[in-house]
Amino acid sequence: MPKNRDCPSAPLWAVSPNRMRLSKLLRMSRRDVLLSGMGAALAGSAAEAGEPDAQNGALAATDPLVQQFMVLSQRLTDRDALDARIGAALCMGIVQSGAERKTQLQALHTVLTKEQYASASDFARAAEKQDAALKDVIHEIMTGWYRGVANGKVVVYRSALMFDLTKDAVFPKTYAAGGPFYWTSKPPEVAKPNGLPALSPSKFVVEPT
Amino acid sequence: MSSEENLSADVVIVGSGVAGSSIANELVRAGISVIVLEAGPRVDRQHFVENFRNLENKPSYQEPFPAVPWAPHPPNQITPNEYLHTSGPDAEAYQQVYLRMIGGTTWHWAGCAWRYLPSDFELKSRYGQGRDWALKYDDLEPFYYQAEVTMGVCGPDPAVEDLGSPRKQPYPMEALPISFAAQQFRKLIDEKTPWRVVHEPQARNTRPYANRPTCEGHNNCMPICPIGAMYNGSYSVYDAEAAGAKFIPNAVVYKIERDAANKRVTAVQYFDPDKGSHRVTGKYFVIAAHCIETAKLLLVSADEQSPDGVANSSGHVGRNMMDHTGVQVTFISGDQALWPGRGPLETNVIDNFRDGDWRNERGAYLVHMVDDNQVDLATQMAIAKGYVGRELEEQIRYMAAHTVRLFSHNEALPDPNNRLTLSKTKKDALGIPHPDVYYKLPEYTVRSCEHTRKVFRELIGHMHGTEEQWTPGYFPQDHPSGSTIMGVDPRDSVVDGHCRTHDHDNLFIASSSVFSTVGTGNITLTVAALALRVADTLKKELTHA
Ligand SMILES: Cc1cc2nc3c(=O)[nH]c(=O)nc-3n(C[C@H](O)[C@H](O)[C@H](O)COP(=O)(O)OP(=O)(O)OC[C@H]3O[C@@H](n4cnc5c(N)ncnc54)[C@H](O)[C@@H]3O)c2cc1C
Ligand code: SF4
Repeated sequence: MPKNRDCPSAPLWAVSPNRMRLSKLLRMSRRDVLLSGMGAALAGSAAEAGEPDAQNGALAATDPLVQQFMVLSQRLTDRDALDARIGAALCMGIVQSGAERKTQLQALHTVLTKEQYASASDFARAAEKQDAALKDVIHEIMTGWYRGVANGKVVVYRSALMFDLTKDAVFPKTYAAGGPFYWTSKPPEVAKPNGLPALSPSKFVVEPT
Repeated sequence: MSSEENLSADVVIVGSGVAGSSIANELVRAGISVIVLEAGPRVDRQHFVENFRNLENKPSYQEPFPAVPWAPHPPNQITPNEYLHTSGPDAEAYQQVYLRMIGGTTWHWAGCAWRYLPSDFELKSRYGQGRDWALKYDDLEPFYYQAEVTMGVCGPDPAVEDLGSPRKQPYPMEALPISFAAQQFRKLIDEKTPWRVVHEPQARNTRPYANRPTCEGHNNCMPICPIGAMYNGSYSVYDAEAAGAKFIPNAVVYKIERDAANKRVTAVQYFDPDKGSHRVTGKYFVIAAHCIETAKLLLVSADEQSPDGVANSSGHVGRNMMDHTGVQVTFISGDQALWPGRGPLETNVIDNFRDGDWRNERGAYLVHMVDDNQVDLATQMAIAKGYVGRELEEQIRYMAAHTVRLFSHNEALPDPNNRLTLSKTKKDALGIPHPDVYYKLPEYTVRSCEHTRKVFRELIGHMHGTEEQWTPGYFPQDHPSGSTIMGVDPRDSVVDGHCRTHDHDNLFIASSSVFSTVGTGNITLTVAALALRVADTLKKELTHA
């Protein structure tokens, strides 16, 4: 459950929720320099896969971990083309969301390279079978691309894949462009899908408001 | 610290929400000088829009509006809370949210703008429950219309769809055309039930109105309309300022001074963010600081003359806390694709449970089929179910097109034990105590909610629904009211039928805090109508003087 936000005397009403979360994160990283990739980078250690650039705090699209992440993402979305810049930002968010994430991403990549999988579902099923903990990181990859969210923060809003998928019917909130009273028209019919889940179900908790 | 500046006006208003700013606008245009003291800062829409777009938990309506330290508001609806401390058997049902900033809480309202029914003002004499108001529907009718014109309300033609509140004039704007999803819901209700779906009256433009654009269907009325097609209190602030009213932001009123006889208010005092104290004198004073903060201010102002708080000789300040408690369910419809989330959020209502003889034993309610974009929820649910890749994409589309959300607004009753008091342990940055509220749902409301659940189950059946998810327990609908209750008897009420406090001749209250019962519809149009009636009284008294 997210904790209530405190009210420091900075002009908080002029700050966006993402930036507030990010600054909390930075505070945490500094406290925990050894565990955090970002802390290590700030301390000036040699570059290694998954290390954010010390200047802009971002992972480069050419970072080996990002490249593995992109391969994983293409397989898990059943899509050939995904934006590498968004991928780098998502990858960094996921790595920062937990100490075990980086090794899990690498482990997932190892599973993928061992065999040829025909679909996202085949691959996800095999990964969970190999190590049940890999399910969580798959969830995070899905959440990243489809919701545009990593580590509890918005990485992209309009460009999240969930909106690409539904753009023939609805607009992302605050971005309507359908013309006067567009909502009275009939939206597309959607057939009931018969595909099966690949992973075991996780508990779904609606975030409190 | 105390300031030397001489702040004085004919009328001093505390709070710049719909209530305070509407009064300011009316008075200043009649040549009366006005100062409005507002606890929170000046703010701008685009900032909130940006905050919303960057928000991970999009349904968290408070989060785009962070509070300032000197005027805290509840950060969310979570119990225990960091600001509004609720307790009692139904503490969670009273975890209200509101905003403290120029323009007030309507920055993130939904614009639903109902007139109450004549029976809402006479619950006691008609149904033997609760109380009667110290005014009748007819007393308020002209002010309802004035409020509708000010806010820009669209609604149906009574000859076609009579909402039960008699009107002398048509709505200022034609009803909003409802979405495809709402049309299908309406058809289903027509064909399969004895009930009806009506066009909800709403403060949303169906044509350019008051220099604001026509609604474009951004589906983000809560928490922030990106283009200002929906009215909020800031527009009345801008209008009143343009006409010469003085608004002082970051002015937290903490004391109400009276004369030696304790009959008239002489001044209010406010803190600036650095806790410098300032005194503002006037002929008349209006407290329009929202139900919770209004009662808090009266209690905080306790002194030797009024040890239980200002205007509180009855002991009823802070008592009789009410709300429209909600029941909510989300499910997947088995019928055709609806794609909710095209157009405004709340546009259609089943109004059959608003009035009837059964109100002698259970509360009335409205049912909303919420037209909320469900893409994000569908995505979260599909991921949690374990879908990936192509199968995930199919699920997202299907669930986004078929998810239905219903919620209700169920009527409470005034119970003096449901009470707001000042926190003994928690204080804000200025040293002002936080509000505590004890809440137990009246049985009247519990029975109403049980009835709603039955109706919802029936509707789910008609829509071949699956995967029902009921919001646990009862949830607050952010319509707090009753904390300075209206009545004819000064022994058991705080204000009279004109919203004048029984105890102090020149002190008025403009807020849902004066409601004698909570009524059957969202509260704000009634708040605005009562406020405009206060403005009318003040105009008469000040121009005759
Ligand atoms: C999410 C949400 C949705 C809603 N949707 C609807 C809807 O669709 N329809 C409807 O009818 N109602 C709705 N409401 C309720 C509606 O927002 C309120 O009824 C309305 O804002 C009340 O107006 P007000 O002027 O009385 O109070 P507010 O708008 O709260 O304004 C009060 C002002 O007083 C100021 N103030 C407080 N304390 C002090 C102090 N000590 N000194 C100086 N200033 C002070 C505050 O900062 C604030 O600006 C909704 C509420 C919420 C939270
Ligand atoms: S639907 Fe969009 S444009 Fe219309 S009032 Fe709501 S947020 Fe504003």
